[in-house]
Formats: sequence, structure tokens, C-alpha cells
Amino acid sequence: MGKVIVVTSGKGGVGKTTSTANLGTALALIGKTVVVIDADVGLRNLDVVMGLENRIVYTSMDVIDNRCELTRALVKDRRVEGLTLLAASQKNNKDDIQPEQMKAICEELRSNNDFVLVDSPAGIESGFRNAAAGADEALVVTTPDVSAIRDADRITGLLQHEGVEPINLVLNRLSPEMVRKGNMVSKDDVVALLNLNLIGVVPEDRGVISSTNRGIPLVHDNSSQAAQAYMRIAKRLTGQRIPIPEIREKGFFSNILEWFSGNR
Amino acid sequence: MNQPLAGVSVHIDVQAPLLSEADLAALKLELQDTYGMVVRGINIADKTGDSAASQVVERPRASRPARGDIEKTRVVRETIRSGQTEDFPEGNLIIYGDVNPGGEVSAGGDVIVLGSLRGSAHAGMNGKLTAVIVAMNLVPLQLQIGNYISRPFVGQKSRGYPEIARVGMQDVIIVEEFVKR
Ligand SMILES: Nc1ncnc2c1ncn2[C@@H]1O[C@H](COP(=O)(O)OP(=O)(O)O)[C@@H](O)[C@H]1O
Ligand SMILES: [Mg+2]
Repeated sequence: MGKVIVVTSGKGGVGKTTSTANLGTALALIGKTVVVIDADVGLRNLDVVMGLENRIVYTSMDVIDNRCELTRALVKDRRVEGLTLLAASQKNNKDDIQPEQMKAICEELRSNNDFVLVDSPAGIESGFRNAAAGADEALVVTTPDVSAIRDADRITGLLQHEGVEPINLVLNRLSPEMVRKGNMVSKDDVVALLNLNLIGVVPEDRGVISSTNRGIPLVHDNSSQAAQAYMRIAKRLTGQRIPIPEIREKGFFSNILEWFSGNR
Repeated sequence: MNQPLAGVSVHIDVQAPLLSEADLAALKLELQDTYGMVVRGINIADKTGDSAASQVVERPRASRPARGDIEKTRVVRETIRSGQTEDFPEGNLIIYGDVNPGGEVSAGGDVIVLGSLRGSAHAGMNGKLTAVIVAMNLVPLQLQIGNYISRPFVGQKSRGYPEIARVGMQDVIIVEEFVKR
């Protein structure tokens, strides 16, 4: 019996989809069987970030409407063993799916996969409710800014109300330089306010954007700090105890190296 | 009279606790009558505990029974997060956690937060002006006692000791170090 984990945040644009794609891939890379579900019906983009857009034939809507078997709707990621995607319909909207239907899909998928990761849409309405309906656990993603933290807090209250437990925190886009200059809330202040278990800190990394655009999750190449951070979170999700290292501020030298390697 | 500051709302934050409550009241009157300013609240950074302010204060709560064991009290054993509210008009409210920004707690009597109060709290919601708000770490968005409202500055730093907010003699909310009785 696998685990169903909803990846959520309240606020949009904080890295839910990026985290789902990278953690799904990372878990598969360490030998787990994983399904990633795009629950952002109407605005799908997990398939794009994972580079699987052109392979989608069926979506969760087709499964719900009995146009297709669940297993046939899963798109296999050919780059890594054990990773599949269930896409969201672009023609429908969030209210076309009921929480029980999402729950049924999650139940069926968890019986033959180690992990089911559900990428939640922004907001606290029906889209979020659907995404969380079948979840045992949650990853709350936030960036170190006041409005994202406020929304993460709101979502945490709703998840606790639903009995989702544990709720782990992913702090994304942390920039040590910005924290040092006082332009960002520090890691410790975020954790103190949200009072959640911090499962990982992902640094601000320009490589994320280019990987998004190429449709190749960053963790396929383990060289960046962000990729390594996602690999560690994946391992922590499997129960390994790995300390959270402080994020290094990029020095002059590594900036020059990046510049020459065109990795900007 | 020319009053260029008329209507400006201010919050008096006394870092050196040398003024008595009567002095503060006079200062408030001066700001209001001479300059037309609106005094929203008074903060006394009273770390030493032996300041004139805390000695001279004539506490309105003196008339209240010292033992409150007949009052109804609700104990909430969790953090009040953004978007959540906890109302207890019948009596006092004790939170065994934090009240986060966007969270709101209200009580007919006192509000006691055994963590950080970062959101909004309303004590004496039915008009009881002797009600107080106490928090281990008091960095609220808004405090209200009866119909008096105080909006401390945003980005206020925590002082590192428990504080109490109450309505002072001059009808403003006063925040100072919590000293046991
Ligand atoms: N750690 C990061 N460093 C730099 N850019 C990031 C990082 N995480 C996310 N992004 C960028 O932020 C944008 C929003 O991310 P996305 O995962 O789509 O957010 P959400 O799904 O929460 O709306 C994307 O352009 C993505 O490339
Ligand atoms: Mg998204």
C-alpha cells in the first residue's frame, strides 16, 4: 500500500508543480514506483514541466466519465523506470470533479504504487479540496515571503481540519543573499510561524526555470543545489534521516563557472 | 491654530520607561488637543519592571476579584492559523499555542495566549473594559479591548518577555511587560 501525498500551498507560483515533478522523478530514480497526478483541472501544466505534454491521450476526466480505464490513462515517463503521470483535462473546470471521485482514483493507484503525488491548484476552493480528498499526507510548499507564508498557514489549518497528517513543509526559492540583506523571511522564522516539520529547503536556482522550459525535471542532472535538495527530500519521504544543510551562498567563482557553461 | 499634523494617527512607544501613566495621559492629551493627532495606543517597553509607569499605575483591575475560579474559561489546545477564529463570549479564552497573522480570537473576558500572538485578539468583546490580553510573545496585527482598538506597527520585533495589554486610565490600550501579581 503506497502513500498518497498532496503537494499544496494556497498561493500560486510558489513551486507546487516544480516540486511535484522533481520529487516524483527523484523518488522514481531511487527505485520507487510513483504516479504524479495533475489536479489543476483546466490549467494543467505538470505534463509540460515533465516534458510529457505530447504523449497525453486520456485524462482523469476520461477515467471519471468511464471513457477509459485508469491504467490506460497513465502516461509512462520513458526516462526513468516506475514513473507515470495522470494528466488533468484542459476542457473541464475544477467543479466537474467531486472529491469522492479523486479519492477513488488515489485509492486505486496507491494499491500498486509506492507513492502517489497530487499536484494541487492554487486556492482553497474546490480544486484544493479535490486534490486533498484522497491524501494521507501533505507537503506544504511556501516561499520565504509574507503572503505565501500566510496562505501556507491557511492551507495548513484546512489540512489539519481534514485530518491530513503528517504535514511537512518545503521551503522553496530561499536565497541566502536575500535573507542576509533582510529582504526575505528567514528559514527559522518561517518554521516558527508555521510550526510544521521542515522536510527540505530548496534554493532559488535559475536552473529550475530552464529545466521547466525544457520539460526535463532538474533532478535528472544532480549537479545543482536545487536538484540535490529535491533528492534529499525524496529520501526523507522514504523514511531516511538526512540533516538539512545550510544553503551556500554562491561565490564569485561558481557564478563565473555557470556563466561559462551557459547555465544561466 | 495651524495643525499640520491634525488627523495623523500615532502610537506612543516609550522605550525608556521614565514616564508615569499620568505623564503619558498628559502627553496624549497634548498630542490630541494641541496637534489634533489621534493616539491609537501606548506601548511601554518596561524591561526593568521598576519604572515609574508600572508603579504609579492605578490599575482598573484592582476592583476585580483576584480569584477568577467562578468565571467560565475555554481552553484551546492548538494554534489558531490564518483564516481561523475562536470566539468565547461567555468568558476567558486560553490558547495553548500561537495565534498566527490572519487568525482571530475573541473573548468576553481575558485572552491569554501561551505562545505568540501575531494575529488579532479581542478581549472584553461584550464591553468589559477591565479585560486584558496577555501573550508570551505579543506581536499582534490588532488588539481590541471593549471598543478600543490598537494597531501596533507592522514588523514590530518581539520583545522577548510576556506582555499584557489593558485599557489605561486615558482610554487607550497600554501594552507593557506582564508582571505577576
Ligand atoms: N527553486 C526555484 N528557483 C527558481 N525558480 C523557481 C524555483 N521553484 C519554482 N520556480 C519557478 O517559479 C514558477 C512557478 O513555479 P510552479 O512550480 O509552476 O508553481 P505553482 O505550481 O506553485 O504555481 C516557475 O516559473 C518555476 O520555474
Ligand atoms: Mg502549479
